[in-house]
Amino acid sequence: MADALFYVMAVAAVLAALGVVLAKNPMQCVLSLLASFFALAVIYLLAGFQFLAAAQILVYAGAILVLFLFTIMLLNLGNPGSEDPTDVRMFSRANAGLMVVVAAALLFVAALGVRRAGPLPVAASTPKTGLDPIPALAGEMFGRYLLPFEAISVLLLATAVAVVVLAKRDRRPNEGGRT
Amino acid sequence: MSVPSEHLFVLAAVLFAIGAAGFFLRRNLIVVLMCVELMLNAANLSFLAASRMHALAAGSPGLSLEGPTFAIFVIVVAAIEAAVGLALVIALYRNRQTVSLDALTDLKD
Repeated sequence: MADALFYVMAVAAVLAALGVVLAKNPMQCVLSLLASFFALAVIYLLAGFQFLAAAQILVYAGAILVLFLFTIMLLNLGNPGSEDPTDVRMFSRANAGLMVVVAAALLFVAALGVRRAGPLPVAASTPKTGLDPIPALAGEMFGRYLLPFEAISVLLLATAVAVVVLAKRDRRPNEGGRT
Repeated sequence: MSVPSEHLFVLAAVLFAIGAAGFFLRRNLIVVLMCVELMLNAANLSFLAASRMHALAAGSPGLSLEGPTFAIFVIVVAAIEAAVGLALVIALYRNRQTVSLDALTDLKD
């Protein structure tokens, strides 16, 4: 039952990812991306990563996609008919064929790696608390990985400041020194 | 779930390939950023698949927490990347009234 659900969700994730690449309207791209993230969250849950599944929904679907939606609506790009005209010729050039070759090569390398690794162990029994229990994860985060944790906190703070500066209006340097 | 870990890795590879193809094919800057998110997600899935493989290994069962920890870091970096990228898109739209990558050839010309 869980196995069948995994394959269904895997196919759903791949189809939704294709929707992101192929849809003309950015709004449809965002909704496809949302479907892909939800399918991946179910896969995380099935694989035993309960906290990561919750984080996937909260951060990706809840925060990042809302940011994308907000930008599309702010710039008024989601109207039907207002699609980027240059996007139409994206598949009409040699680069489309080149990308198929590159993607096939990536997949081939991945398949070769899996084949070389031999049969990987099949999940016999996942612990009831999952593979990422929060107490153990917190112990890692504030123990071994304390320095990366602090570094990424500083990076988040710097990002908050940078985004405010970037998105601010009227940043012309020739307007009497207000920068 | 008793799916072998290879299948998780192959799914991650397929998602990464789709994301990479979209990154190079699309001309809309916002969609390009979405394709980056797709690739980061595939990397996350790969981390988690490796973690699961080690946790459920026949010889030495036990938790393998490097994968989930790095997946959390990747999620944070993805959020940062989306925020900065979209702020740049807004600043660009304000100056050029376009989000098409074909319009941004100042360094080429």
